[in-house]
Amino acid sequence: MNTQTINDIAQAEQGTSLWKDAWLRLRKNHLAVFGLVTLVLFIVIALLTPWIAPYSYQAQNLELGASPPSAAHWLGTDIFGRDLMTQIMYGGRISLAVGFVATTVALLIGVTWGAVAGYVGGRADAVMMRLVDILYALPFMIFIVLLTVVFGRNMLLLFLAIGAVEWLTMARIMRGQVQSLRQQEFVEAAISLGLSPATLIRRHLVPNALGPIIVYTTLTIPNVMLLEAFLSFLGLGIQPPQTSWGLLISYGAETMEEYPWLLIFPGLALTLTLFSLNFLGDGLRDALDVRGAKD
Amino acid sequence: MQPIISRFLLVVAAVILLAACSGGETNVASGNRLGILHFGNGSEPQGLDPHVVTGVPENKIIRALFEGLAVKNPYTLEPEPGVAQSWDISEDGRVITFHINPEAKWSNGDPMRASDYVWSWQRLLSPALGGEYAYMLYPLANAQAFHKGEITDFNEVGVKALDDHTLQVTLDERTPYFIQLMDHYSTFAVHPPTIEKFGKATDRYTPWTRVENIVSNGAFRLKKWELNRRIELEKSDTYWDRDKVRLNGIIYYPTENVVSEERMFRVGQLHYTNSVPLGKIPVYKEMPDSPYMQEPYLGTYYYLLNTLVPPTDNLNVRKALSMAVDRDKLNATVLKGTNISAYSITPPDTLGYYPPRLFSYDPERARALLAEAGYPDGKGWPGLELTYNTSEDHRKIAVALQQMWKDVLNIEVTLTNQEWKVYLDSITNMHFQIARRGWIGDYVDPNNFLDLFLTGGGNNNTGFADPRYDEMILKKAPRAVTKEERFAVFHEAETLLMEQMPIIPVYTYTSKHLIHPSVQGLPPNLMDSLNLKYVWLEDIEQATETDD
Repeated sequence: MNTQTINDIAQAEQGTSLWKDAWLRLRKNHLAVFGLVTLVLFIVIALLTPWIAPYSYQAQNLELGASPPSAAHWLGTDIFGRDLMTQIMYGGRISLAVGFVATTVALLIGVTWGAVAGYVGGRADAVMMRLVDILYALPFMIFIVLLTVVFGRNMLLLFLAIGAVEWLTMARIMRGQVQSLRQQEFVEAAISLGLSPATLIRRHLVPNALGPIIVYTTLTIPNVMLLEAFLSFLGLGIQPPQTSWGLLISYGAETMEEYPWLLIFPGLALTLTLFSLNFLGDGLRDALDVRGAKD
Repeated sequence: MQPIISRFLLVVAAVILLAACSGGETNVASGNRLGILHFGNGSEPQGLDPHVVTGVPENKIIRALFEGLAVKNPYTLEPEPGVAQSWDISEDGRVITFHINPEAKWSNGDPMRASDYVWSWQRLLSPALGGEYAYMLYPLANAQAFHKGEITDFNEVGVKALDDHTLQVTLDERTPYFIQLMDHYSTFAVHPPTIEKFGKATDRYTPWTRVENIVSNGAFRLKKWELNRRIELEKSDTYWDRDKVRLNGIIYYPTENVVSEERMFRVGQLHYTNSVPLGKIPVYKEMPDSPYMQEPYLGTYYYLLNTLVPPTDNLNVRKALSMAVDRDKLNATVLKGTNISAYSITPPDTLGYYPPRLFSYDPERARALLAEAGYPDGKGWPGLELTYNTSEDHRKIAVALQQMWKDVLNIEVTLTNQEWKVYLDSITNMHFQIARRGWIGDYVDPNNFLDLFLTGGGNNNTGFADPRYDEMILKKAPRAVTKEERFAVFHEAETLLMEQMPIIPVYTYTSKHLIHPSVQGLPPNLMDSLNLKYVWLEDIEQATETDD
């Protein structure tokens, strides 16, 4: 047997690795690809905004006021004569950042907490989940208000604060998943092979619970974006002249009969992002479902 | 675009109206038939006790339920007989004798007595009641001392019932606006036995104002109160001037959201709106036979400057900030031309008084002043925080000013919005650098605006303190004999005030309402003061038919 054939065999086996397989399946899902492309596009635009924005986001032109879309202002202007496209681009930076950072925080805490509670079980589980119940019972607004009062107004802190209250549901879902997975033979097999709990959770439990987690993540991101808008409206989030999609929409909604474009375009941007996230989430869930047929 | 939208709006309105008509009679139509006024009243009243509440929505209900000794004529704003059929003023202006109308009755049939007023004013001035408007009666001799608890014998206060129908009032100083105060709800009489039935005189929020308990003396009486839905009033049959009252009833609606209030008006649910959304005003202005009514209003919108903390403790900074604000432009654009630019605290033409104007929009001068203060072209600027209470319209103005300061002075100002009660706290404790403020006149007199800035005044909130100013407002003005003399003192004082620029005046208010064409007898006036006794409803369609 020469070395060539051995390599061939190895390559053939590598070709069916879990992640590559998932990627192949994802690529076949057109909606998911559309979602991925849109999201990447939005993120790239958000990153490049300071260099590519057509106007300054602060400069007002009060005489112009609210004007409908035109050649000079593709998406029109707001009541201060500021270019709406620029506003949406800058708003996107904040909304996307808040969406991803806060969700990542929620994801990290929630998944770890839930997985540990579900895996260890017994008294530790009871204590950990009662803690979650207690936090659930606290009105989260008061919690965030307290955080901002104690630490002052700081954007990163706002992201973290939102993340810190959004992880509870994630923890419950994760725990439920892990509890049901624990009863399965492959986990018992892994335990009997002597895997450490940490490795077991990382290698077997979390990947198997990815489906519901991804779906819930795609639901958390829009939630978080709306929460940011709400907090900003109360004066606890970001302040003018900075803006976000949520704020643009809440301002636009108030004048939707007179200046409909102020609601439509920010709304479109947010909707498009949310749809993309959902499509991508759906696609990822199908693609990563290790229990699905592997053919 | 604008005309297209307005046409679109009209079509929408027409469709909704048609739908509403086919679905049954609108409030306006049934109201016109039955003589019932449907009234958008801003928000749900805090309560109906005239000595306890403080807001504008409460005012509009209380003034229909109760009546003062003298009332403002809605056309001229001059006092005319209310509960008192006449009054005499002594030579030196310090003793006023009210003659109470023998026909004046409470809604339970009891006659009104002079002693009811003595009892009611004692209630308002009692420290235990904590009435926010107790200072309205401070012109009375010894009233302030009684309210502060320095004296405890109410007989020393300058109000006496000579007999059942004669009330004698003694003042500290000549107070030309005292008769006007009799139309402020805090000076109204309440029915002593009713209040005593439900607690002590000084208990707040006892059940005496409930529908089944309340006894009032105005042109209307309370018929029904559905919390957060509607408050119904019906014509009172014990009111002394009942023959003149033409409405059979009034229904007040809490309409906190101006956008939905405007929609209610459009579908014929309201005769009268409390406000109009800014964005809709241009559309309404263009309409033929527009229901939009806009009138000067005795109030000023301004920003407080904290003169005790840097950088606003520097007079040049304060002047620079004020001069960098292009009020005319703000008014023409963001405010849709609905207000009047203001350069001082007192609204122009307050009883014929015009405030001094010491400055204008002047970017060059503003920059020079800022440089003098040590921040040439904004260099070294320590930053500034502007506080406002959460509201769409306040935000718009703040954002526009923020950019004007940036453009003219090249300085950064950050905005902070706070919920109403938090904001009031910040203002009272002076935890701000710049803060939004508005003041609506309680009576038509420059004094009502100028006494805000007395040293340590409860609504001063700027740290402005000048003994010469206090002297002029408290001593010189009340002693002036003629109106001209008095106004000259006010003018001098106001000049002194604005030279120190403890505030940035922005605009003089206008009142804005949508009023259905069937509503008659509701003349516009400076106080936005309603006397619903004079209002009647005319069915426009029927009127045109008879004309033909």
